[in-house]
Amino acid sequence: MRPRAITLVAARELREAVRSRWFVLAAACFLVLSLALSLLGLAGAQRSGLAGFDRTTASLLNLALVFVPLVTLTLGGLSIAGELEDESLALLLAQPVTRLEVFAGKYAGLLAAVAAAIAIGFGTTGLLVATTAGGGDARAFLALTALTLLLAAATLAVGTLLSVAMRSRARVVGAAFSAWLLLVYVSDLGTIGLTVARNLAPGQVFVLALLNPVQQARVLGTLALSDRVDVLGPVGLFGIDCFGATGLVRVLVGALIATALASLAAGYSVFRKAALS
Amino acid sequence: MIRAERLGLELGGRRILDEVSFEVERGESVALVGPNGSGKTSALRCLLGLVPFTGRATIGDHDVVKSPIAARSLVGYVPQKVAFGDARAREVVAFVGRLRGVSRDGIAAALASVGLERHADARVRTFSGGMQQRLAIAVALLGSPPVLLLDEPSASLDEAGRRDFFDLVQRLRRTGRTLVLASHRREEVDRLTDRAIRLDEGRVIATAPAGRARIARVVRLSVAGEIA
Repeated sequence: MRPRAITLVAARELREAVRSRWFVLAAACFLVLSLALSLLGLAGAQRSGLAGFDRTTASLLNLALVFVPLVTLTLGGLSIAGELEDESLALLLAQPVTRLEVFAGKYAGLLAAVAAAIAIGFGTTGLLVATTAGGGDARAFLALTALTLLLAAATLAVGTLLSVAMRSRARVVGAAFSAWLLLVYVSDLGTIGLTVARNLAPGQVFVLALLNPVQQARVLGTLALSDRVDVLGPVGLFGIDCFGATGLVRVLVGALIATALASLAAGYSVFRKAALS
Repeated sequence: MIRAERLGLELGGRRILDEVSFEVERGESVALVGPNGSGKTSALRCLLGLVPFTGRATIGDHDVVKSPIAARSLVGYVPQKVAFGDARAREVVAFVGRLRGVSRDGIAAALASVGLERHADARVRTFSGGMQQRLAIAVALLGSPPVLLLDEPSASLDEAGRRDFFDLVQRLRRTGRTLVLASHRREEVDRLTDRAIRLDEGRVIATAPAGRARIARVVRLSVAGEIA
């Protein structure tokens, strides 16, 4: 694997993503929603102006958990499927470059584009909060930004896996939306249903939660926001009991990274053998 | 220069290529002819390692599966359908040029060599079919690969575009490049190649030795769907 080839593919992917209407729309939505949530948070406190960092961070956590997977699953999904469909991938892979370099470069370029969109949205909000309202814990805000990037990396990898598996734009958009529903909404209900039906122990529920990157990010975000462990619920409490607060953060960060790596490995194993016909 | 040994390809449960073997000498220009679906494009894609095939394909002694980078460094490819997304011509050429280790000057010269230097900053999607084809050739020539694989290269061109394209390929032939052309156009095969290999239902069913009359016969048979 040659870093130069990966960098070239990543730079091209980043340039194309930034130039696309998708990027402008996603970055604008992220910015508008971040600012709106910050203002709404403050409205709840019967004040006017922007909320301090604590309230803003709490509001943005929910935005990140819903919005980031939607964008990254779709973007990752369209990345390879789109080029397979219009046959531009065949021309790229006819060059002296390996499939691994193309796969890694495309993922890295898209991740850079998503990171730029998050930086624009959260960065602008953070600057405005710092200069206008101030107050609260800026470290939690920075932790949330890092957590959002990690979640984006994991769900973008899942999207990339869907892309090579589905191979067409239409199919991959449907699959990405289904995956988003599953990760953000349905898995919670499924876990609750399974827990009740099978009388699962907290340890088993904890393992189930670890399978979902959105759940991993949710617990991590909650830990970053609050010292009160009771807000984590029985699963989080089980994690705290087993690993301690610092250990649980490590486990969850590890689980998010593992989700990204496992999805990328599965995606590459499909892409490596894919016929470009 | 190119050796295909018993290439086999199955996609979606359908046999696309069945024991296809051929060789192309250095500097030779060979046409793969046959009706649509006969396996011409698939054979080219095997040579590029774009599809998982059985058998063995080598380009300049490099196995396309075991040494893909070395093998593809020797090849310029012009696909049937040209797609460059929303990029500008200069960006397309620069990207592939950098992948192939071509200098800045070489990248600029590539566009000039196909008469597109004035359109370098235009978006490729605004180009006519002929201009897109010329850009694809500029991309294929980056790094001066000794082998060119052309897949139905004049299919989307009008008469004038086709004439320009033929002149360009004939100039390239004079530089000693090895050419493999997938086509079912008689004029293209007559004017641009020394030898024709006819494929039908994924098998080689006829090979014509050098000579325009024999090539014409293979192409006629191909168009008529007769068995040679």
